[in-house]
Amino acid sequence: MQIYLPIAEMSLNALMLLGLGGMVGFLSGMFGVGGGFLMTPLLIFIGVPPAVAVGTEANQVVAASVSGALAHWRRGNVDFRMGIVLMIGGFIGSTLGVSLFTFLRGIGQIDFVIAVSYVLFLGIVGALMVVESVRAWFRSRNPSAPRRKLHYHTWLHGLPFKMRFRRSKLYISALLPLGIGVFVGILAAIMGVGGGFVMVPAMIYLLGMPTSVVVGTSLFQIVFVTANVTFLQSVNNQTVDIVLAMLLVVGSVFGAQIGARVGSRLRGEEVRIALGLIVLAVCARVAWTLVVTPDNLYSLGIGGTH
Amino acid sequence: MFPVKRRFARCCAIFGAIFGALFLAAPAAAQSIVVDLSTREVAISTGFTGAELLLFGATEGSGDIVVTVEGPRRDEIIRRKERVAGIWVNGASVTFEKAPAYYRTAASKPLDEIAAPAILEKLQIGSDRIDLFTRTAGDAASVLTFRDAFIRTKKRQALYSEDISDLKIIRGRLFRSTIPFPVNVPIGTYQVTVHLFKNGQLVSSEKTPLTVQKVGLEAQIYDFAHDHAAWYGAIAIAIALMAGWFAGVIFRRA
Repeated sequence: MQIYLPIAEMSLNALMLLGLGGMVGFLSGMFGVGGGFLMTPLLIFIGVPPAVAVGTEANQVVAASVSGALAHWRRGNVDFRMGIVLMIGGFIGSTLGVSLFTFLRGIGQIDFVIAVSYVLFLGIVGALMVVESVRAWFRSRNPSAPRRKLHYHTWLHGLPFKMRFRRSKLYISALLPLGIGVFVGILAAIMGVGGGFVMVPAMIYLLGMPTSVVVGTSLFQIVFVTANVTFLQSVNNQTVDIVLAMLLVVGSVFGAQIGARVGSRLRGEEVRIALGLIVLAVCARVAWTLVVTPDNLYSLGIGGTH
Repeated sequence: MFPVKRRFARCCAIFGAIFGALFLAAPAAAQSIVVDLSTREVAISTGFTGAELLLFGATEGSGDIVVTVEGPRRDEIIRRKERVAGIWVNGASVTFEKAPAYYRTAASKPLDEIAAPAILEKLQIGSDRIDLFTRTAGDAASVLTFRDAFIRTKKRQALYSEDISDLKIIRGRLFRSTIPFPVNVPIGTYQVTVHLFKNGQLVSSEKTPLTVQKVGLEAQIYDFAHDHAAWYGAIAIAIALMAGWFAGVIFRRA
């Protein structure tokens, strides 16, 4: 069943897109991640123009994270104060990111920058995940090993504009979450992701937030930042394909529910090792497209002025 | 104030002149071609996977037929990837101004058997003969390389094509040909031109316009995204929020 996508200007099988949404939704439900970092490269592999894949994926992540954010809110797992500071940073970052995106698209380098960002961040995050969870797995088998300190005091804690975040039991400089928000906002705009895979480790290791509020707070700010990206991509680049986004959303919400049920039966470390390996596999696949000689060295684009 | 009779006489004279011109012109058009298309509008809707149009017509007297189809003209940029530190990056580029987005030639026999290269060049028949202008600085040889690559890439995307065997002439008078449009066909106004050649000389040409446009919901979404971008963005967010919230509600109950 072929369906013509009005913004991507191509025809794809609707069932395949539902299936793709379902598969990524399953993985994201199982691992508790947004799935944008898997979906965007997959869309590019099946031929969706990278700019459209990124813009559309931001829209899909809004839908994917809002139900999670609401569920965490109900359970009181959102630190709103922290979430708002992160969100302000995220707004600044994603606005900068979309401008950068528009500029790179104009000079014909956006596909390259998207691919390099993926290789870089998926490579780092995937490797850290695998190393960390393999260590945790060994520790769980050998309980006598020394434990790590909960968090370290570094120069980051000496920054001005200190704020009290009661829900997170933290008294830290507002500049720190603001900076993280800006950085993740830029990534969200360029990579078409929510940025949870960077945000969650940053909240745990840099801010030292308690794990109970990390996921809820991260989802809370992701909803707003991806909404901002969706809006700005629509206005600046017209690269948000509603039809494509909706097909992916329908598939992913069902997949996520099944994934969540399967995931709850698996052990934490094993799930994290598996996720780390998937992240590394996607990274390797994207890296391959950069290194392998393309079968056509030339690519066409529509010139700046019409 | 002119008498009524004189006014009548003037009208007669004008009509006479027009009719005279028509009849005098008639011998030249005697070698004429009649052309029609199975449709003058290619509609891109939900199930669009490409389309094929039938062009048919008749000539007075036998000859060779060449059909060209030219898509909307727009500035197109071609970029070449270059290897930098083992990674392929877009490097040099050339912008071709007002290049046809789509171009097709169909003929009843090989072009060089129909007319001399100079004539074909003048009429821009055949994708290798399309005029492509650029203001991008660069030596002639490199611009030529980009020009060849441009035509080659367009052919790979099925946007430029040549089919010599495709055009059928029936009993020396009737002809028909198909015009294929791939799924990535650019929207806009197309110009279909049918040339009639006799003994290597152009005898007559007939032009017919053709539109390729998005219709129905696809057209509305596309137009809305471009004309009301801010509203489009806001609606995209609203739909996503509702879909996510709705999914949460359903599965909480289940």
